[in-house]
Amino acid sequence: MQLLNTILIGITAGSIYSLMAIAFVLVWRSTRVINFAQAGMALLSTYFGYEAVTRIGSFWLALPIAMLGGAIIAALVEVTLMRSLVKHASTGPIAAVAPIIATLGLLGLLRAVIAMVWGGQNLVIFPPVSNAGFTVNGEVLVFSPLKLLILSTTLVLMALLSLLFQRTNLGLSLRASAYAPEISHLSGIRVDLIRTLGWALAGAAGAVAGIFQTVNGNGNFSPDSIEFALLLVSGFIAAVIGGLDSLLGAVIGGMFLGVVIAFVLIYINSGLFFIAPFIILLATLFIRPQGIIGVRAGRRA
Amino acid sequence: MLGFLLFLLGNRVDELRVYQGASIAVFVIAISSLILLTGYSGQVSLGHGALMAIGAYSAAIARNEFKIPVVLTFFIAVLFTAIAGALLGAAAARLSGPYLAGTTLALAIGLPSLANQFEPLGGEQGIPFDVGLPPARLGESFTQYKWFFWIAALAALICMWLLSNILSSRYGRNWRAGRSNEVAAQICGINMSRSKILAFTLSAGIAGLAGALLSMTIGTVSPSAFTLALSFSILTGAVLSGITTLVGTMIGAVILVILPEIADVVAHQIGSSERVTSNLPGFLLGALLIVTVLFVPNGPVEQHHARAAKRAAKKKS
Amino acid sequence: MKEINRQILVSVSAVLAVFGLVAQALPAQAAEVGVSSSEIKLGMTVPMTGAASLGYNKIPGAAKAYFDYLNENGGVYGRKIRLIVEDDKYVPTEAVAKTNKLILKDKVMALFAPLGTANNRAVASAVNPAKRGVPVLFLNTGFSGFADLKKYPTHYMVLPSYVMEAKVMGEYIKANFADKKIGLLYQDDDFGVDALAGFKTAGINFAVKVPYASGSQGAAAAAGWITKFKAAEADVVILFAVSSATSAMLGVAAQLKYAPQWMLGSVGGDAVTIKATGVPAGVLYNAIGFSPVPATTDMKDEYVKLFSDIYAKAVPGSAFDLNVLLGMNSAFMTAQALKAAGPNPTRKSLMAAIDSKGATFANAALVPAGYSKTSHVGLTGYWVGKFSPTGDLSPIGGTYVTYTTDSGAGAVVKSTYVRPAMPAKGLPN
Repeated sequence: MQLLNTILIGITAGSIYSLMAIAFVLVWRSTRVINFAQAGMALLSTYFGYEAVTRIGSFWLALPIAMLGGAIIAALVEVTLMRSLVKHASTGPIAAVAPIIATLGLLGLLRAVIAMVWGGQNLVIFPPVSNAGFTVNGEVLVFSPLKLLILSTTLVLMALLSLLFQRTNLGLSLRASAYAPEISHLSGIRVDLIRTLGWALAGAAGAVAGIFQTVNGNGNFSPDSIEFALLLVSGFIAAVIGGLDSLLGAVIGGMFLGVVIAFVLIYINSGLFFIAPFIILLATLFIRPQGIIGVRAGRRA
Repeated sequence: MLGFLLFLLGNRVDELRVYQGASIAVFVIAISSLILLTGYSGQVSLGHGALMAIGAYSAAIARNEFKIPVVLTFFIAVLFTAIAGALLGAAAARLSGPYLAGTTLALAIGLPSLANQFEPLGGEQGIPFDVGLPPARLGESFTQYKWFFWIAALAALICMWLLSNILSSRYGRNWRAGRSNEVAAQICGINMSRSKILAFTLSAGIAGLAGALLSMTIGTVSPSAFTLALSFSILTGAVLSGITTLVGTMIGAVILVILPEIADVVAHQIGSSERVTSNLPGFLLGALLIVTVLFVPNGPVEQHHARAAKRAAKKKS
Repeated sequence: MKEINRQILVSVSAVLAVFGLVAQALPAQAAEVGVSSSEIKLGMTVPMTGAASLGYNKIPGAAKAYFDYLNENGGVYGRKIRLIVEDDKYVPTEAVAKTNKLILKDKVMALFAPLGTANNRAVASAVNPAKRGVPVLFLNTGFSGFADLKKYPTHYMVLPSYVMEAKVMGEYIKANFADKKIGLLYQDDDFGVDALAGFKTAGINFAVKVPYASGSQGAAAAAGWITKFKAAEADVVILFAVSSATSAMLGVAAQLKYAPQWMLGSVGGDAVTIKATGVPAGVLYNAIGFSPVPATTDMKDEYVKLFSDIYAKAVPGSAFDLNVLLGMNSAFMTAQALKAAGPNPTRKSLMAAIDSKGATFANAALVPAGYSKTSHVGLTGYWVGKFSPTGDLSPIGGTYVTYTTDSGAGAVVKSTYVRPAMPAKGLPN
């Protein structure tokens, strides 16, 4: 029983990490940048969702609104910050580090602004469906309608996005703009728009991750919620484990991370909560430096 | 001569400033270690806080368990952290860009929490690190904080001198070559992985020194002194100083230490609510970081040099 | 090479020189640091932001509410009390930096209710208030080590230590759950170690002990804890944890319909804080809780009534909870200490006042305080209560039965302490 519960706990946490990892991968694939402010944007989207739920009263409406909000914020950031970055800082030694630093700065900025506008106290978003575990053979499982919702949403989103990337012209443009911007430009692809679109999609995915992370807990969040710090780090590690280039990798990486951490916490020692991701990451990169599904050549950016 | 100057300063300035001076010196060392690794060798590290922790713990344990004299504990901090850096560098040599960033990020979060797992590391409370009182012959008014300032400032000066020598040597040139173009550097005969590992080792050792000094100023070594925020602060300071050169290191360090006060002053001018005031430092730091990266990406000193060079070139033509 | 060296040395000394010029010279000494003819300055470090700030960031507002009330009624010998609050985000380096600012720049007379075990220890070793003669009044931590007079001569505890709390819990368990399986959730640092020591003295054997890494208290972790408690078939589960961990645990337990007999430690056991995180009140029903001060909903208690009135006027819209009550109580005790220090208080006379009269200061607690010339131990015990269907803690059987003990091997005894009446209008007499 404990084994089953452990796996279930791991998969649920893992799917939320996957959503975040998807956001990282989307940004990476469209603009070759790691966006550390992803968690800050997810947090902001969660606040949007909160406002929507409080004023409209429906979670099902609030979720898409939050996604839209997340997409818009992300697009804005790309247009203003990232483009300036390319203009001012794409040559010289600072080039590799500049986006990382800029997004880190943005992360701090977002957190401070959120705290200034909404205050530092805990707010609550209640889950739309019950989070009481299913009963099987008289035993209550650590799996509930809510967790089922989270899991299925993750899979659906991944499938949709993969379809977008692999089967549509838009997806082709997205991939081309990331790998060879000059050539794509020559082919008539609006590279700028495409990059912004990539960010917007990531913003939406991040918003879903943020909201789910919140309701999967006890619905609480605040500017300093530990859940969002965890989301940032685990999402990023999951993306790296999966190999930054593949959406499928992001999902696999997220699930893998979630399940392994669950096992470590329950079977070994719950004090290892913080060191476990590091060990997992190091082990994965040692065995497969390009990540589980990564492509060797594409790693060098 | 410089020492005499500092001594004079130390007497004229009140204790709070002296303590801040010690913090600045510590940050100067930490920032320079990151400039070495990221600015010169091109390897991004988000986890220097963890390396500082290693230095601090080794120094404290050396002092507490083995009763090693204080000066030697700092050397031990450098040694142990350098070894850790070598290991990390070896593991990281195959990684680049975001993969390296991710690994160091995970390290920054995971390593300090190890303290809770092993008894002698003292857990969340930490272990004490006491460098002792200033020697009696320096007189009654020579406070503990002045002593900290002296030790830290001295360490910073020595460190910077050594580092600038190393950076202008063959090794520094190798790193810069590797940073611009790894393949070309290899063709020129530079062993990339050895070069990278060397950078990591050196950078770690210096970071370890900074960590030990930081713990000296707090008096304890505990995981909560080495948060992810610390790693980010060092990176911020490095960027504000100009990540590619050592010369501006003071600037970044000073800004980091003084920012809360500046934020305080600004907040009082605006006369704003509690909510805004307590979050203002975070806001300012984030904004400052973005502005710096956008407009002064190589740091204010480089900017100044570049402009001077442009002017000189114009004059010639 | 030499060029760069010189550049660096010049820039380093230049900035240091500017630093020195800009900084202030030492001002002339006042009668006593932090005391002027019109006001007394006190300083406080507390997590106002950050993951650990849940609930605790109300304490400064509560203390200020009482001090403002006091100031409106004449202050102490005509001096107003001004509390300067700094946010340390629960990080020891920040606590040290902010305490330095309070002592060296703001020149406060004493430190008031600084929060956090690790923070206080860092401040004690780095800033060394003891050496500077700065009193540290009514620390907001229950770590028993702070009562050590040799190490912390100017520190005064107020909260009962975690060892005391564990011992009282242990006695209650032995009396009521003698042959049941007991489970314990504790934090894996000195907070938890103190608790374990207390339980050991009380002779409690646990069927399962679950440590959690301080800072990791989220819902995902909680699900893992519950799996372990279930596996061990614990009948009674003690939550000796901070508010965030306790809330996470109870929240997830509600979802999983896991309902053992809960026992909440006072650190994380404030019902208002827990309910604010969305935990349904019904989960707390019949859980056992402990507190040294009267229940926060007990309006028949004169202290609770007065303090909640003052707080409601000062901070409208904010719920009156245990953090607020304890904050105001410490402020009240500080006011009495300042009054007892005489019309020309000094740091030394302030501490002497607490040493000699502290045990008789009026305060809301239902257990005695242990101040004397040889002891800086604060409150020494608890009453046992149960949570109502609406999630409010009230004494079992309706009347407060208190138990006192020490942080050592002393027995837990039923207390005969009768709390003296509150001085008129809640002002020091």
